[in-house]
Amino acid sequence: MARHGRFRSAGGMMRLKLGGCRGRALLALPVLAGCSGAQSALDPAGFEADAVARLFWIMLGAAALLWVAVLGLARYAARPRQEPWRHRSAGRLILWCGAIGPTLLLCGLLVHSLLLMPALRAPGGPLRVEVQGEQFWWRVRYHPPGGGPPVESANALRLPVGQRVELRLTSPDVIHSFWVPALAGKMDMIPGRTNRLVLEPSRTGLFRGACAEFCGASHALMAFTVEVMEPAAFQRWLAEEGRPAAAPAGEGAALFLKNGCGACHTVRGTPAAGRVGPDLTHLASRPTLGAGILDNTRANREHFITHPREIKPSALMPGFGMLPEGEIAAIAAWLGRLQ
Amino acid sequence: MLIYNRKHADLWTLLAPPAIWAIHFLVCYAAAAIACAKAEDIFAGLGGLRILILVVTLLALALIAVAGLQARRHWGFGTDDPPYEQPTADVRQHFLGYATLLLCALSFVSVVFVALPALTIADCR
Amino acid sequence: MSDETTTRHDGADRARQEAQQRRLDAAWETPKGWRYWSAVNNTEVGVWYTATSFLFFLFAGALALLMRAQLAVPDNGLVSAPLYNQAFTLHGTAMMFLFAVPIFEAVAILLLPTMLAARDLPFPRLSAYGYWCFLIGGIFVCGSIFFNAAPDAGWFMYPPLTTDTRITGIGADVWLLGLSFIEVASIAAAVELIVGVLKCRPPGMRINTIPLYCWYVLIVAGMILFAFPPLIAGDILFELERLAGWPFFDPKRGGDPVLWQHLFWIFGHPEVYIVFLPSIALLAMIIPTFARRPIVGYSWIVLAAVGTGFLSFGLWVHHMFTIGLPAISIGFFSAASTAVAIPTGVQIFVFIATMLAGRVTASTPMLFAAGSLAIFVVGGLTGVMVAIAPFDWQAHDSYFVVAHLHYVLIGGMLLPLFAGAYYYFPLMTARKLSDRLARWVFWLMFAGFNIAFLPMHLSGLRGMPRRIFTYPGGMGLDWLNLASSAGAAIFAAGVLLFTWDAAWGWRRRANAERNPWGAGTLEWLNPLPQPSCGVRSVPGIASRYPLWDDPDLPRRVDEGREYLPDAEEGLRETLVTSVLDAGPIQCLRVPGPSFLPMVAAILTGAVFILTTFHLYWSGLVFGVAALFAILAWLWTGTAMVPEKQAKDVGHGTRLPLYSSGPHSVGWWAMFITMTGDMTAFASLLFAYFYYWTILPVFPPLDAAGAPLGPGLLWPGLALAASLSAWGLMLWARRQNAAGRAGGLRLGLLLSALLAAGSAAAMLMGPWQAGLQPETHSYPAAVWVLLLWAAAHYAAGIVMQLYAVARSLAGKLTREHDIDIQNIVLYWHFAAITGHVTLATVALFPLLA
Repeated sequence: MARHGRFRSAGGMMRLKLGGCRGRALLALPVLAGCSGAQSALDPAGFEADAVARLFWIMLGAAALLWVAVLGLARYAARPRQEPWRHRSAGRLILWCGAIGPTLLLCGLLVHSLLLMPALRAPGGPLRVEVQGEQFWWRVRYHPPGGGPPVESANALRLPVGQRVELRLTSPDVIHSFWVPALAGKMDMIPGRTNRLVLEPSRTGLFRGACAEFCGASHALMAFTVEVMEPAAFQRWLAEEGRPAAAPAGEGAALFLKNGCGACHTVRGTPAAGRVGPDLTHLASRPTLGAGILDNTRANREHFITHPREIKPSALMPGFGMLPEGEIAAIAAWLGRLQ
Repeated sequence: MLIYNRKHADLWTLLAPPAIWAIHFLVCYAAAAIACAKAEDIFAGLGGLRILILVVTLLALALIAVAGLQARRHWGFGTDDPPYEQPTADVRQHFLGYATLLLCALSFVSVVFVALPALTIADCR
Repeated sequence: MSDETTTRHDGADRARQEAQQRRLDAAWETPKGWRYWSAVNNTEVGVWYTATSFLFFLFAGALALLMRAQLAVPDNGLVSAPLYNQAFTLHGTAMMFLFAVPIFEAVAILLLPTMLAARDLPFPRLSAYGYWCFLIGGIFVCGSIFFNAAPDAGWFMYPPLTTDTRITGIGADVWLLGLSFIEVASIAAAVELIVGVLKCRPPGMRINTIPLYCWYVLIVAGMILFAFPPLIAGDILFELERLAGWPFFDPKRGGDPVLWQHLFWIFGHPEVYIVFLPSIALLAMIIPTFARRPIVGYSWIVLAAVGTGFLSFGLWVHHMFTIGLPAISIGFFSAASTAVAIPTGVQIFVFIATMLAGRVTASTPMLFAAGSLAIFVVGGLTGVMVAIAPFDWQAHDSYFVVAHLHYVLIGGMLLPLFAGAYYYFPLMTARKLSDRLARWVFWLMFAGFNIAFLPMHLSGLRGMPRRIFTYPGGMGLDWLNLASSAGAAIFAAGVLLFTWDAAWGWRRRANAERNPWGAGTLEWLNPLPQPSCGVRSVPGIASRYPLWDDPDLPRRVDEGREYLPDAEEGLRETLVTSVLDAGPIQCLRVPGPSFLPMVAAILTGAVFILTTFHLYWSGLVFGVAALFAILAWLWTGTAMVPEKQAKDVGHGTRLPLYSSGPHSVGWWAMFITMTGDMTAFASLLFAYFYYWTILPVFPPLDAAGAPLGPGLLWPGLALAASLSAWGLMLWARRQNAAGRAGGLRLGLLLSALLAAGSAAAMLMGPWQAGLQPETHSYPAAVWVLLLWAAAHYAAGIVMQLYAVARSLAGKLTREHDIDIQNIVLYWHFAAITGHVTLATVALFPLLA
């Protein structure tokens, strides 16, 4: 029961996060009416999601008509009538409505989808992004167009609006699946393989993605944000993201290093260069914490540092609850300055 | 031969048309899987594979048509109407012929369906 | 003739009939007291099977309620992530493996003999063995959740999550071994049902007049034969990776996790149709009864069943549309997935056409049939949507798919099954279920179902992935999930009400009259409650609906004027007929009650359970014990030498009591079993060549730059020994046909010796070449193929020694040669397995 209690506290945190998400949407991203559409395939904001949503509405309309027709016919057939149909007419019904009609409809639908598929997988633009799914977070690496060193980040993706971006998807541990419903369909991340997914956002905004393939205890807690920006703003941001940390020194930084956090996390500009966990160089610029599940507030950062496995069952990070509260607070405050 | 000059219809002649579909399907799938697994560039054209699929498809359709002609013969060329329920050897033969003919039609359509991707998709993307 | 003589004649006739009835009853009597559990007759085993799988259904349903309780509100803390993950894994696993497939087998075992007016299925002890395996395996798998040791990685068990023993504990082994055990039982049932439909029909029931249910059973059992073995092969690879570290699915050592997905879904998609078709088959029996006319489009149903059976094997990749396959590959499967909708549509319109051409009377089974149509059509239409790959990329692994699959399975499988339960209940108990309660059951289930699952379409498209134990609020999912949870509870209330009526309610009602629904098919021929021998005499059949077309039939059957009206020798007998025209060819003696199947099942179960806990030595001991139990069962229950050659079965027909080779049911069973076995072998071969397609260099090169391989010497020796062993088997059979028992025994023993040598030489190849299976997928694939072939040779040697013993005991002679015929047939398959294996592992490295 104690375990349940702990989960409830994590749940409380998640509610906080969504409040934050909505607030942010209202402040910075008036395009979004609220968070309810941030992860919806029916509120498309990308080339592929658009095409698929349109396809869905057409199929839904046709399906509704067919359902009414079949059920109506069955209802009629079940009614008592003076003159039952002749065997021959009933046989013709099977031939035309059961066999030939469906064949023609299905053929049309199939051809449409076969033409759509290659269009959705057309080559991407000059910007390439590698995303690696790990239990239970996302490692992101941007390869800027025109060369230049790759830019490391984690758990938040930013994309320029109106440009085709090719994502390279991999996984080092178990199978995950990368899904941003508002932008496109999903693509699995499979150990030993590199999959590609091309995204082409059609409007700016803050969207949410999630892992769609069961990947272990915290599968439900493996999400991320996608911020679609104007291309110029994106370029500025990417250049900024490539720079070292904004506040490389101070008490928090010293404690971070002293307690061994750098063994797993990288903060560029400091000696911390671990590769096991997420890159924290610009943590403060990310809207969420713990892979899209907590609002990025100081209280949440403190909570995550002390009890990561209460928030995310089976996470690799050990808890640092044994540290004095002051030290935790200092680390959390310092992480909050890493713009 | 099973689909050409069998005197009597049986369960094997009934299963032959969908079996042709199954073989066609496996050949298309295996050929495409191998071609794309070994391809260097996913945007390079798959000319050879698509011609192969075209040939295999025409072959499969021809075999199904042959099976259909045999089934039509077993059916007594449609001299007898459904439901084919009399307990005689002739009617049993007509029934099997008719059911096989229906399966030929389904298999024909399914082979065409399965060949469509090779028509619309030109590479391994 | 004077009145007096007529009366005396009638009196004598009646006395004779009563004596016959007494002998039949004695021969088919169900054992009493604790010996009841030794029963093997289909009426008992069928009822146990049905009840057990229904209990597993309730268990899996309870797990679903637990999940719905957790998901009722966002950020809920009711159920922990580990427990939730076990619950959804076990829910899917139990519903599929312990309910949907077994209930088909259960109902078929129960109904098939009555539909065919057969006294029993051809291998009653095999049914009993299958049942006990199912019970033990099911309890083992389900019970694990009470020890917090249930599988927790989804019913699809994707590696590497499941092969990593640090992440997934013993639960994965429970899943793999427990279910492999049950799969074996399923295949056993499939063999029995195929032989039942093809060979145990009443005289004159030609292939164009068999009940539609039997067509479906035939197709579905055939599908099981080709669908389950790939999963068993996959299970073998999987356990070898988990227990011995052979890297079949580990990309770091040349394996590929996607291979498992292929093997799993080659099973998994046909599985959907394996559970769907038998339920539709029930509707194909029910609808003509209440439309008061024969089915319209009998041939169309055959088309639909056969067509679906084939096409369903071309759909498996539509569960893998998002793994990054090339669009062209996806296209093939998308095409097949749309094509399969055609026969399904035909099926629905056959029912509608039959209703249009008849006069429909309202009834409880028809109410459930109508509900099933309303729900299934939604599932079928969303099925076409997810067959369209670009849409599936959004819908896949989201709650849209959860909604879709439940619409298909509850509409296409569960509600027809309930219709069937209401329809066939009088056949089991002689009483009907309550029509008044049925209305409540129906509307609770129907409304609850739609309230629960309709919103899930929207939750999925709003971005709710499957298999999540919690979700954040404020994403437009809150109300949808609350509705789903409420609907689930309403649905459960309907199921519980049905359970009460089926378990207790019916006992208070009066007996139904004979043929209570006025049906036309043979299962309604018997008086209710049914006598334990089944039909009083086996009628000759000349129509699809004999009870409608021949009103005099029940009288003739009751008076014992048809075939097999007696059990003169006090033995259980049933008729064997020819495949197409059902001409009578044999009077088959079937074995009676025995504890051996139960004992054999317990011992076999112990092997699997002990292996799960890594107790290999005790597992081996139980394995040997199980082998002897099975041999004892075969010795006492199969190929029994009759006291006379032939007997009169009525209508002046004299039939042999013993036949061997292709005339005998045992030969057919061996042939069908080995077809399934070859499918498993083909799956292992597929794995070998699959690695060739995905790896840049296959086989990998050794230090000197030459491809690794078992060499040519040992495989060559193995091939030579194997060819001689095979030839000696043919020689031994000829010796027996010539009446030379010494030659037979000599041939068998020499062949066994050579087979042992061949198996040893097979394994020497990779051993001498130093191929280490833990290092790479290539040596692992070579070893697993050779071990598979060698194991088949070992089983063949056991059979050869068994045949020697049978010959020495005088049970295998020139006239009574079932054993040698079947063993030679086995050796054909074993030799093909061995030779293809040797050719592959020895020659492919030279080509690649």
